[in-house]
Amino acid sequence: MEYFYTVIILIGLYVVLASSFNLIIGYGGLISIAHPVFYAIGAYTSALLSRDFGVPIVASMFIGAAVAVIASIALALPSLRVSGDYLLIASIGFQLGLLELIKNVSWTGGAGGLTNIPSFLVQSVGRETYVALVVVVAVLSVWLVRSIAHGPYGRALSAMRDDELAYSALGRNAIATKVSVFALGSGLAGFAGALYAHYFRYIAPEQFEILQSAAILTMVVVGGMRSTWGPVVGAVMLEALPQAITFLNLPPSVLGPLQGLLFTGLVLIFMFLRPQGLVPAGDLWRATGDKDAR
Amino acid sequence: MTGVLETRGLAKRFGGIVVADDIDLTLSAKRIVGLIGPNGAGKTSLFNLLSGVEKPDAGSITLDGKPLVGMRMHDRARLGLSRTWQNLRLFPSLTLLDNLLVAPRHYASENLLTLFLTPGAINRAEKVNREKAMAILERIGLADLARSPAADLTFGQQKLAGMARALMNDARCLLLDEPMAGVEGQSYTTMQKIVRDVAESGVAVCVVEHNVAFIRDLCDEGIFMFAGKMLARGTVEELIADPRLTELYFGT
Repeated sequence: MEYFYTVIILIGLYVVLASSFNLIIGYGGLISIAHPVFYAIGAYTSALLSRDFGVPIVASMFIGAAVAVIASIALALPSLRVSGDYLLIASIGFQLGLLELIKNVSWTGGAGGLTNIPSFLVQSVGRETYVALVVVVAVLSVWLVRSIAHGPYGRALSAMRDDELAYSALGRNAIATKVSVFALGSGLAGFAGALYAHYFRYIAPEQFEILQSAAILTMVVVGGMRSTWGPVVGAVMLEALPQAITFLNLPPSVLGPLQGLLFTGLVLIFMFLRPQGLVPAGDLWRATGDKDAR
Repeated sequence: MTGVLETRGLAKRFGGIVVADDIDLTLSAKRIVGLIGPNGAGKTSLFNLLSGVEKPDAGSITLDGKPLVGMRMHDRARLGLSRTWQNLRLFPSLTLLDNLLVAPRHYASENLLTLFLTPGAINRAEKVNREKAMAILERIGLADLARSPAADLTFGQQKLAGMARALMNDARCLLLDEPMAGVEGQSYTTMQKIVRDVAESGVAVCVVEHNVAFIRDLCDEGIFMFAGKMLARGTVEELIADPRLTELYFGT
């Protein structure tokens, strides 16, 4: 049962990560792959504040998300002022640099990882409550991204993606639009990180490497960029399938590579057979009330 | 009469090419000024300097007395400077109506904090903008197409749509870049009437146009531009009648 809960929690967290990343890369059109680094910032901040400074866990989780928001603004504001392409380069640099820093200072636990992170809810009220909390957060994130992306703000985002010059000439602040959407998406990732840290109670820098970026990107692309349900389907499928084959009782030497193959194989299949993803978004922006809004 | 929009000594060059050379332009309320001249004369470049796409090398621009040079494009629009584009620049992923709905001078839902903290105000603003956009589409004759994707409209309809979008600003000064190119029949008449009505409502209008008949019927003043300079100004009839300008226009 504990294994089952773990899988549900991981799926829930990846739903948050994929949906928030979809807000950034899909709806916002911002090319960054550093999403896991904000997941890491949330996780480390919340873990360290509660473990070493006695901050209540709920407060440290929110602070973790807030620090992710601040870091994302600090990254996006200067790079977006230069140009949109610059964000990609800056984000990769930021991800590599920050993880290197985490690996090389002692108070983060270094490359070996941070242990003894205080547990939240599990010991006091039980594992089920934590599972419920993660599911609620996942549902709220999907709802939040949907109401933003398919509301008046999303209409503006869509216009900005189409033609930034015309968008600015109408009186819309393109930089502010981009930075806000980047900050919100990163804040959600930060909160997911905090939820991860206080359940698994151990985090290590290698979990937030470029491979993780690829995983989240794949969930969004395979699921369907710029649709509400695409990243949800992508997260469930790509998180559940590799877990499911662990039940086949294969020897670990086969299982590991098989999971990798499954992942890469899915990407290749989708690239050729269904490039628009499982839940295609359509060419036209739709408001939430519209029956065609996905 | 003081102008709504004024430039003094405006200059801009790209390498060796001079696109604006000592431009003194005054656009006044209720008046329509037409810019004419051959391709490459600097007409669109002037619009780009005014709206903030390009930075001038020298000179000043003021809108209702406020200096615009150094101000970002969206801030100029928020002061009431609105423009259209020669190549339209409609948003293809939006319906015609949604193209208009992102265009009001102030867009309440642009700020995420406002969006979360004052949902009631957002809903009210959306309702007001929707009514206004529908009224403009009604006026311009495209109300039936409000829900169509902007990309599905005919070229003439897209021109009118670009005009309609620019009207959402309730602008003090409206810059129209070739509003008539490719527009025929009913759309032509509609466009003419709209431009005239907008000017009469107190807006300072400037039109870049190659359609001489359109500009002659509409403009209070014509300015002939060549190689970034304002060569001559007067009524459009006077400019057309000047053999020297005709020669420059058509080349020899």
